[in-house]
Amino acid sequence: MTKIALKNTGFYSESPRSGILGWLLSTDHKRIGIMYLFCIVTMFLVAVCLGLALRLELIAPGPTIMGPQTYNATFTVHGIIMIFLVIIPSIPAAFGNLVLPIQIGARDVSFPKLNLLSWYCYIIGAVLAVIAIFSGGGAPDTGWTFYVPFSTQTTTNVNMAVTGALMLGFSSMLTGINFVTTIHRLRAEGMGWGRLPIFIWTLYSTAWIQVLATPMLGITLILIVLERVFGAGLFDAARGGDPILYQHLFWIYSHPAVYIMILPGMGVISEIIPTFSRKPLFGYWAMAISSLAIAFAGSLVWAHHMYASGMSDFAILIFSFLTFIVAIPSAIKIFNWVSTLYKGSIQLAPPMLHALAFIFNFAIGGLGGLALGAAASDIHLHDTTFVVGHFHYTMFGGTGFAFFAALHYWLPKFTGRMYSHKPAVIAWALLFVGFNVTYMAMQAVGIQGMPRRYYDYLPEFQTLNVVATVGSWVLAVGLIMMFVNLWNGIRKGTPVGKNPWGSATLEWSIPSPPPLENFGEKDPVVTKGPYDYKGVIADEY
Amino acid sequence: MNQLNNPTAQAVDNVLIYIFGFSLILLLGITVVTVYFVVKYRRSKYPEPTSQVHGSWLLETIWTVLPILIVLTMFWYGWTNYVGLREIPEGALEVKATARMWSWQFEYPDGRKESKLYVPVNQPIKVLLFSTDVLHSFFVPAFRIKRDTVPGMESYVWFQAPEPGSYDIFCAEYCGVGHADMTTSVEVLSEADYAQWLQPLEPSATPRGLVVLDEQGCLSCHSLDGTDGIGPSLFEMAGQPRQVTINRESKELIIDEEYLKLAIRDPEAEMVDGYNPMMPPYDEATINNEDLQAVVNYLMGKAEAAKTPSAGAQLMDENGCLGCHSTDGSDGIAPSFKGIGQREVTIERDGKEITVKIDVEYLRRALLKPNADLVKGYSPIMPSADYLSPEEIDAMIQHLLQQ
Repeated sequence: MTKIALKNTGFYSESPRSGILGWLLSTDHKRIGIMYLFCIVTMFLVAVCLGLALRLELIAPGPTIMGPQTYNATFTVHGIIMIFLVIIPSIPAAFGNLVLPIQIGARDVSFPKLNLLSWYCYIIGAVLAVIAIFSGGGAPDTGWTFYVPFSTQTTTNVNMAVTGALMLGFSSMLTGINFVTTIHRLRAEGMGWGRLPIFIWTLYSTAWIQVLATPMLGITLILIVLERVFGAGLFDAARGGDPILYQHLFWIYSHPAVYIMILPGMGVISEIIPTFSRKPLFGYWAMAISSLAIAFAGSLVWAHHMYASGMSDFAILIFSFLTFIVAIPSAIKIFNWVSTLYKGSIQLAPPMLHALAFIFNFAIGGLGGLALGAAASDIHLHDTTFVVGHFHYTMFGGTGFAFFAALHYWLPKFTGRMYSHKPAVIAWALLFVGFNVTYMAMQAVGIQGMPRRYYDYLPEFQTLNVVATVGSWVLAVGLIMMFVNLWNGIRKGTPVGKNPWGSATLEWSIPSPPPLENFGEKDPVVTKGPYDYKGVIADEY
Repeated sequence: MNQLNNPTAQAVDNVLIYIFGFSLILLLGITVVTVYFVVKYRRSKYPEPTSQVHGSWLLETIWTVLPILIVLTMFWYGWTNYVGLREIPEGALEVKATARMWSWQFEYPDGRKESKLYVPVNQPIKVLLFSTDVLHSFFVPAFRIKRDTVPGMESYVWFQAPEPGSYDIFCAEYCGVGHADMTTSVEVLSEADYAQWLQPLEPSATPRGLVVLDEQGCLSCHSLDGTDGIGPSLFEMAGQPRQVTINRESKELIIDEEYLKLAIRDPEAEMVDGYNPMMPPYDEATINNEDLQAVVNYLMGKAEAAKTPSAGAQLMDENGCLGCHSTDGSDGIAPSFKGIGQREVTIERDGKEITVKIDVEYLRRALLKPNADLVKGYSPIMPSADYLSPEEIDAMIQHLLQQ
């Protein structure tokens, strides 16, 4: 295969407009997906730097590299960027756009212009969030949860940050509507519900949460602005309002949101494990239905963030029970992934390594969630760094590693180039070790009783904090190595054929990178399941 | 995590150990099986899979039902032990804890206020939780108890300490710039130490004059803070002019000791203009001469003179000023108190920066309207001290000026 410049291949070379406008006004799902990917990775790197600064501050008690106000603003901005600009759109908006239409045999999403609009909502939200840091009364210092009454009293630039989050909510909703419709209406001939890749099932479940839960976020954020600007008093106990009402409203969105964040990651893992085992996914229907079950049950557990808030004991009983129920579908998924490996033909390529790391990390995150779901033990662990560690185990160890797995799995498809594997494996090992050292130490110091959002702490917490900070450096080296290696792969990697991994889903039956409209002149006809590897041969590269 | 020998910690720790124990077994199981499969079925040994199994209803049912049963035991164990955290044993001592940015105040049934929570050993303690501003959370890791303090709502936790000692209290709900410094401690005292602690350190922190005013019910008609009531307010009277009517003739006099004594012994002799003659006379049988002098001293602002500094220091401590302002000159969230009586500050007023000498007037304004004149380089985050009486404000100002 001769090597030609990336911009002269596949959909990079085909556009009604040339130059930058060919991207900014494109309604091609692949171009929009690439634009999302570029923005998300950029924002990710910014927020990683903030996270490293937070860890560095915590290497010793007292102010180390920053004072309390800077620290509070830093963790707030780290959280807002990571949650709203990175994790929520990471897999659904970037890889969902790139992969979803092709995997179901469609030429684009149902509403291509709406798709571009949701990218612009994302960009507006991102710009507002960045302006919020540098304007008004200073960077917001409320935490990403914007808890009242603090968020209605602080003089920092909360209004702007909240408006940014509102725009990002619109972006998420529009993407959700688009995906639900696309999956219902644009499946190729023969692509029955039983032949949908699990990635599609998880995007489908996610899209429903995005459509149904995100409006709650919009309403809640608007109420904060009403409270701040007009003194509406809805959350002010002195005027008949209730600060705890805010927490209910916030978590009614924000708990389902964590399933928006994790479900597509589970979908990615469900594609990669069968591919690199050359064996059908174990328990297809259990995997499909458990995705819907997570989306449904996950919408009913929001108040498990509030056991210590002053909420009634009866509510704690109910929400604790529901929380344990939502653990079941996640457990089924883990057991089915592991069973898929049984009697397979396992290749430890970089995507597979990230997928296996996902299972380990997510298992720790999920099991830690049990201790937080039980009423008595949560009382001790709530609002300690254990919660921060747990959240990072699911969102970084889970979704983050799934995102890295997706990058290593699909980038060759969408760039037509293969990165080199050896640095990818070394980077993976650094990430895996660095990640676990950092966040296991954070969980441990939380069990000791160190509250979260502390820039300063008692000397007895120092040892574990130093361990966590050193772990974050290993993590940082791993990230640099991984992104440099992927970037080199995009620029000067070996060209790959249609199907470098020997996968069985539709995107691997078309050229890399895919052409505009994906499928040439004839629409595809699907005749076998997504994990049927008989006769599928991996292309050499 | 060291297991602790107190009822609430045991309730929580048993659940933690149960859940973490099961979790560790599950994690080990998943990891060992995964690694075993990955090594055994590696592609170099098995170029093609040796099974094309799509699933197994039996296995999948087992690993659906079994985890349900396991997690339901966790749920139930967690719930029943949580109930133990809410049910308070008989004979609990009630202490009121008030959280504010960024300090704690503990108030005992007899009205005594402290910035640390002093409790006797082996007695259940019920801590009533309040907040004056934003959400905070009362967290004592040693007792594994935590509960948010919510403005406008009363909440509680309880604990019982089997051994004397000092245990950290943290604020666990993020509350702004002083969040990490909002720490204090539970001081568990032996029975003997607690009995000693119960003895007040000073006979009375309240000036005798104020006690008399309160005991005699004067304050139900005369306010201390300048608000007009049935009778004229007692706020800052010393040396002030006053229009009074003597023998149907209106004249102005300056308030002094003689006038005040007469006004108490024989109120209708000189009626203040605008008020009705309804105050009863207080003779020597009701207020003896000594107490009368104390009242007059108090009203003339003399009573504080001897006592003010220590009262001011205690008020500073009780009201959490030291949560942000240091006394050793170190820079914190707010300017240090060290040398505050002798220095000049640069403040922002009406958008302009001006430098002023710190005096009584400046400090009063700083306490009552803290964000009106903002010291350069600091954020407008200090809550107003307007819930304190003028006497208390004065005591704090006197104390500050001597720093």
